Amino acid sequence: MNLMANIIMNVAIAFLLGSLLLGLHRKIMARIQLRPGPPIIQHFLHSLKFFFKESTFPKTASMPFYIAIACIYCAVWITAVIVGPITYGSLFVIFAIYAVYKIVEHNAGSSSGSPYGKVSCVRAVFSAAAELPLFAVLAIVFFQTGTMNIGDIIAYQSAHGPLVYSIPLAALMFFILILSKSPYSPFSITKGKDIISGFETEHFGVLRGYMMLSESISWYILLWVFLTVFFGPLSFSWYLIGMVTITTLTAIINATTPILNPNHSVMSQISIAILGIGGSILIMLLV
Amino acid sequence: MDIASLGGDLLGTIPLGDIVLYLTPFHLFMFVVVLIFTGLIAISRSETQVEASFKTLKDNKVSVGLEEFKIRRFLAIVCGLATAGAMITGDLFNFTLFVTLIGIINVGIVSAVKQIDVLDAAYNYGIIAMIASLPLFGGASIILASTGTLSLFEIAKIATTAPMMTFGAILLLIGIAGETGTAPFFASKAEMFRTPGSPFILIIHLSSLMVIIRAIEILLIIVKVI
Repeated sequence: MNLMANIIMNVAIAFLLGSLLLGLHRKIMARIQLRPGPPIIQHFLHSLKFFFKESTFPKTASMPFYIAIACIYCAVWITAVIVGPITYGSLFVIFAIYAVYKIVEHNAGSSSGSPYGKVSCVRAVFSAAAELPLFAVLAIVFFQTGTMNIGDIIAYQSAHGPLVYSIPLAALMFFILILSKSPYSPFSITKGKDIISGFETEHFGVLRGYMMLSESISWYILLWVFLTVFFGPLSFSWYLIGMVTITTLTAIINATTPILNPNHSVMSQISIAILGIGGSILIMLLV
Repeated sequence: MDIASLGGDLLGTIPLGDIVLYLTPFHLFMFVVVLIFTGLIAISRSETQVEASFKTLKDNKVSVGLEEFKIRRFLAIVCGLATAGAMITGDLFNFTLFVTLIGIINVGIVSAVKQIDVLDAAYNYGIIAMIASLPLFGGASIILASTGTLSLFEIAKIATTAPMMTFGAILLLIGIAGETGTAPFFASKAEMFRTPGSPFILIIHLSSLMVIIRAIEILLIIVKVI
């Protein structure tokens, strides 16, 4: 298939599936909390709606950064689709993309001049200090397989079985990272309801549309990376079952857990990261 | 170990004596991202931070003055260029130099601010960064002593990891964690972000995260567990 057509098709699939999964996440949370909740398609419709809304810009914003940051948000996750499901490139590039996402989260908050955005920006620095060590779990994958190339990791699993059996603590750490990025998670301090919508508070209209589109793609990509690196090789239907299962699990956890205080959130994540990395290396040395 | 197994296929090398600069898709992505952000910082105007006033319903708008704007923008651009250098360098000593330069500039970017809390945080971070420079350079020199080279391209070709290389790598990790303000050194650095002055303060965060990721790649080159 033509590369450009492949990219467009995969980005469309990532957006569609990601937004439907986030809709499902919201629905499950609502049903657990004894509310009817919005239809599953609502997140998808919301994303589209914002592209046709009027765009306004705060007088206090740092221009043109305020606009560019929403575009960069979208661009990095489209790059992730290209590096991941299309070219099966290096996991390190996905790691770098995740770091750029944390930077976008930080500056989307601070560039508007809003105090809510500013608090979210400070919390983004806190959360990045803990989430990057969680993402560093990829180093364990490298120690086990000897490669960071996604294609080679899949080939390794074809020969030796899924990595979730050999490095389960690493898989758990990555799951905690996914949980951190799920909506209303106990670790989602950057979007806590005490600061309205956090770094997204002052982005309206088409800019918010870009942000919601990126959110959907990022959810899809994180799940895809988790399933590919720890369970691959999988067929499309197994990917679908896996994604729905993880989304359901995170929704159940989030519906029954309050958002943690920023310091508690960071220290919980960093403790899990230290236990996970130390434990995984110990298991690898012993086995 | 093959460099390409970490960051993707090798796109090219620039041999400068025994120091070889090499570029993979991973380095290229990081380098381009840092340059894009640095360019955007150079052309953007500063935000106006809106704060609540005590004992009144009025807002307090805090903006960055022209003189402060100029010096902070200059420092942010220098920090961006230092970060870009750290992304593509193939020499361990150059990398540690870029990291310390980033640490110094990060303090400089917020030192012109007239907010006691922010200055306190910058002072605390400055002390941590200064202390962290000892394990940072110590780690690099121990690796030089045990391998005979600081070229990452050459270190990657060494088949086994000597115990002193592992010790040097651990010191490097501690040094980088202190310089970049990652956990458990994150608290003072995060408080520095309360100052007005986006997008300049962005470069503080950007440089830290990018350096951490590059550092993980470098540590995986040095320590060969497999």
